[in-house]
Amino acid sequence: MNCEQAQENLGPYVDGELAPDACTALEVHLEDCDTCRAELATVRKLASDLAPQVDTLVPENLWTAIEQRLDEAGEATPPTARRPRWRVGRAPYALAAAVVFAVGLSLVGLVWTGSSAHASTVDFSVLLNGLPLDANQAFGKFLALYDAREGSLADARQYAPDLSFDIPDLLPGGFHLQAIYLLRFGKLEGVAAAYDRDGEFLGAVFHRPVAKEHFGQHKDYPCVVGKHDGHKVSVGAWRLVHLTDPTTCHCVLSRLDERTELPDVMAAVAPALPEGTGRHGH
Amino acid sequence: MIEHDLLERCRAGNRDAQRELYDQTSAPIYRLLLKMTASPDDAFDLAQETYLKAFTQLGRFDGRSSLATWLYRVAVNEALQFLRRAKQTRVKLQELAAEDCAASENGRTTARLDVNNALAMLPPNDRAMLLLRYQEGLNYRSIAATIGCAEGTVASRLNRARERLRNLLQNSYEWEGSDSPMHPKDRC
Repeated sequence: MNCEQAQENLGPYVDGELAPDACTALEVHLEDCDTCRAELATVRKLASDLAPQVDTLVPENLWTAIEQRLDEAGEATPPTARRPRWRVGRAPYALAAAVVFAVGLSLVGLVWTGSSAHASTVDFSVLLNGLPLDANQAFGKFLALYDAREGSLADARQYAPDLSFDIPDLLPGGFHLQAIYLLRFGKLEGVAAAYDRDGEFLGAVFHRPVAKEHFGQHKDYPCVVGKHDGHKVSVGAWRLVHLTDPTTCHCVLSRLDERTELPDVMAAVAPALPEGTGRHGH
Repeated sequence: MIEHDLLERCRAGNRDAQRELYDQTSAPIYRLLLKMTASPDDAFDLAQETYLKAFTQLGRFDGRSSLATWLYRVAVNEALQFLRRAKQTRVKLQELAAEDCAASENGRTTARLDVNNALAMLPPNDRAMLLLRYQEGLNYRSIAATIGCAEGTVASRLNRARERLRNLLQNSYEWEGSDSPMHPKDRC
């Protein structure tokens, strides 16, 4: 056995995975080779240093968070009473919730038939909790909470004239507009949009900064997107990023990197955002 | 060893059984995710997703590996997918490494990179290999089942990961027998 062969076998030897005959050959080589003995000591030290030095404590609230999401996942198809009040033309109540939630389907002609009494809050927890299972459906559940109805960009501007936003047909990065929604957060108007890039979902929500945001058990952190300070909530690879100006909080849900793709997307949906703004005042 | 009865009750959606499985496995799963991401918050999120996926996909567990190995596989996949997207550990660790480098009196920079920092600077696949072997103590067969590679390639993959780790540590490691030209020290 030469040094090259010996050193290839040092790892498996230390790991107890080397065949007995190869062990014997290696040990014979090691008896006469200072270099390989030094190399063996190095491999052993690395293995030792990589072993856990202290017990890692699992966060106490981890199971609670999992259990809560299991409960919510069990309600993935909401009961009829909780479905949004949609009509298609004159065919009342015929639209299945699954269709309502499937962002991307053409829901032309939907008529908003009522509203629920919500305080002026924006509760993102149902959206955030549903992300690991199905982002489209989670976004649909969020929309349903706030009595969303579909409309055009002109409808959205007329419906929420105090909000500053843009909803282009095509976002930087190749996200295509699927639908625009008009929402109501208590007494405040809101607007949302759903985008798609080859099956990758991106959602945008615009609301007045005075509406208080809730994120359930998820943590909210400051962040920087391009030249703007904002805040974000992360769920796995998903990011709900908020940049706020005096009239509007621009919330974008995506899997985009904050340093590369997201700044251009935020600039597209929040074209009037002054440099350096974005910290939330909720 | 996770009992067959527990597995069946978990498959049936029994919440007590799910909690029991979580109690038996959460420490190593969370520890692995913590080392993979270098972030308690990300590890917290990914652990949630790991168990959500595990509980909803237990029907797909075919028993060819142990349930613990299968759980590791779910967790590693979640972590790798997350890291591919976020690429944030590299940034974090670059910041960490920068903090760990202090200017010395003669103006040179002295590295004090420790093994944990160096580990997190590795490509995620290398990091997973080393953690599964040396932190979690998995044998090569279980590592292959977790990573989804041929058992015969585990040794070479570990060798490569170990070599990359050594290269990162080379300038700061307190090698025994430091006169050896293979192990230079105090260089940055």
